[in-house]
Amino acid sequence: MTDAVRTHGLFKRFGPQVAVAGVDLAVPAGSFAGLVGPNGAGKTTTLSMITGLLRPDGGAAQVDGFDVWRDPVQVKARIGVLPEGLRLFERLSGRELLIYNGRLRGIPRAEVERRAEELLQVMDLTDAADKLVVDYSTGMRKKIGLAAALLHNPSVLFLDEPFEGVDPVSANTLTEVLRRFTASGSTVIFSSHVMDLVERLCDWVSVMNGGHIVAQGPIAEVRAGRSLNQAFLDLVGARGNGEEGLSWLGAKP
Amino acid sequence: MSTFALFAQLKLRLISGNLRGATERKIGFIFSVLAALFLGGLGFLLMSLLRLARPDIATDLGIVAYSAFAVGWAIIPLMSFGLDDTLDPARLALFPLRTRELAVGLFASSATGVWPLATLLALAGSLVGLPRGWSGVLVGIPAVLLAFALCLVLSRLVTTALSGALRSRRGRDALAVAAIGLVLVFQLPNLVVNRGIGDPAALLKDAAAVLRWTPPGMAAHAVAAGGLTALGELAVVAVAVVLVAWLWIKTLNRALVTPEATTRAASVRRSKGVLDRLLPDGPLAAVVFKEVRYIRRDPRFRVGWLVSVVVTGVLAFSMSGQGGGQPAVVIGITCLGAAMIGAQLSNAYGIDGRSLWMNAVVYGSEQDLRRDFAGRHLAASMVAVPLLALLALAAGFFAGDLGASLAGMLTAWGVFGIALGTGAVTSVLIPYTVPDRLNAFTGAAPGQGGTAFLGSMGAMMATGLLALPVVLPVILGLSWLSVLALPYGVAATLVGERIAGKIGRMRMPEILDAVTKPA
Repeated sequence: MTDAVRTHGLFKRFGPQVAVAGVDLAVPAGSFAGLVGPNGAGKTTTLSMITGLLRPDGGAAQVDGFDVWRDPVQVKARIGVLPEGLRLFERLSGRELLIYNGRLRGIPRAEVERRAEELLQVMDLTDAADKLVVDYSTGMRKKIGLAAALLHNPSVLFLDEPFEGVDPVSANTLTEVLRRFTASGSTVIFSSHVMDLVERLCDWVSVMNGGHIVAQGPIAEVRAGRSLNQAFLDLVGARGNGEEGLSWLGAKP
Repeated sequence: MSTFALFAQLKLRLISGNLRGATERKIGFIFSVLAALFLGGLGFLLMSLLRLARPDIATDLGIVAYSAFAVGWAIIPLMSFGLDDTLDPARLALFPLRTRELAVGLFASSATGVWPLATLLALAGSLVGLPRGWSGVLVGIPAVLLAFALCLVLSRLVTTALSGALRSRRGRDALAVAAIGLVLVFQLPNLVVNRGIGDPAALLKDAAAVLRWTPPGMAAHAVAAGGLTALGELAVVAVAVVLVAWLWIKTLNRALVTPEATTRAASVRRSKGVLDRLLPDGPLAAVVFKEVRYIRRDPRFRVGWLVSVVVTGVLAFSMSGQGGGQPAVVIGITCLGAAMIGAQLSNAYGIDGRSLWMNAVVYGSEQDLRRDFAGRHLAASMVAVPLLALLALAAGFFAGDLGASLAGMLTAWGVFGIALGTGAVTSVLIPYTVPDRLNAFTGAAPGQGGTAFLGSMGAMMATGLLALPVVLPVILGLSWLSVLALPYGVAATLVGERIAGKIGRMRMPEILDAVTKPA
């Protein structure tokens, strides 16, 4: 099986702090992969480096066999990205945003308009299509962002915390679209710390802690009979159960 | 007092924290420190030189200077590109701070910085220049401190009060335009002087006679006069400071708890632009499509365009009265307008800011970036070219020399092209974050004020230098040379786009980092 994404010793430091300390990530093509880890484990930094948004201090990253930093044209044509917290072009309407994105990638206008219309319908955004993105809610933003990332039919899709702040109805729409996408042989990699969601959706999981990959493989292998949540806590080393100290917390004055 | 020290320290830490690890920001910071020290020193010198003037004229000048400082502090933060935004009060909202502590703290953080220091320095110059006796010096020290405090609280009051209105998107747009009206009002005296109504000495006397009764004027008068009257005046100034501070804190408290005014989400028309219909389908058309909408919908663009047009218009009106139909004035002013409009694209990626990643994940080659700049430049030209023609005609009309308009128009188009070219290069070399939040007028994220200063100054100076060989001969009378300006400008734009494409492709992650600083 070929790998959709493979990194070798990916490394990044911010001043004295090492954010990513030599990550060897491997995600087979066609998988629905989850990248999990506690806050500050380096998930976002890793994804930013693979998508060419952040320059690594060392190591290499490949998407579909193309080096991200030596062959950016090939890589950028193949990936779709939805970063966390970053903004969209807020002063365009949802429809205009999709059309801009598609045409920027050289897709003919008529084709872009057709795809945009379908995506808006699937994402249930038709009513809001002509409103400015600046007035969208969090869920609507994630949906229009995902639509923009899917528009050029990428072979690998990177999503950073796609479900954070999204209501259950929108989340359901998102997962349905992503399932259809991977069923067609494309790859999805998303970061999250909601274990239930990862367990439900993914067939491949990479666990990060302190800038390293601590476990990686098919989800059943990583779980090894436990729930993913328990496996995760075992892997990253649960830090006490919160009973020592804090005696003042909840004490009535 | 401990609150004061705590907040001053906090501000210093914010400044130094923002400088860590970025060389161009350090350079920018050093640059703005030097500029502030230079201007502060110059202010000190000029104020102390008042000693050589006749006492009554010195007093009048002092009064006008003090008032100018206060007005400057109230207005400049609204438009400036170089001033740091002080500690955001919204971040303190959840701490159990008493109003008094909050006031002292925010005052302390406002007072900490190089520009406040420069102001204090310049004001202190009046201690040398104005007093005619020891009592004046003694009264002068508190007077200077009070005037300084007045500047700070006035500035905070204005920005905070406007911030409230700026919370809603529509309010922000409206206020941005209103602020330009305010600037116009302050330009009026200038217009009057330049139109040759009244002589400067009488005007100074009249102005001082009125301003003398405002708080900053009273502070200045107190320094000059000394004695018991001065003490009375100081008391009034102190009351004014406390009053303004009280108003500021009241406004602040209200601003912090008032919910954001809901903006009804309005639908936009689905339309194609003119250029969009003419251009072949593809990425270039996509960029133009987006950029034209941004020029129309983003208040930051609208403010920029309006400021350039208003400033140029005012200059054209006032200068022509003085120059009396000099073609050089018409040409010079139109070219200045062209440079100002062009300079708005000297931080092209800064306006994209946190949405720049959408382009960054698409652009992989130099050609992509070059096309991006070309699209932005085309969109801007669509507005700027007819606008500059209009400006040239207006300047010619005011000057009574419509013949100069043609040369002015052609040269201005050339200068605009040069500004676009240099702007493309500074966009990739010295990018900085343009915040989009409460205060629509803040030019740069905290700690990046220096970078912004360096970026816009660099773009302006490069434009000026490159424009000289064509503008100078035209101004000196060789009007036919203006025919060459346009091709020269287009060439400069193309070269700028090419250089920017090369540098930009290599620096994209760094640019992305620079324009997404927390603000």
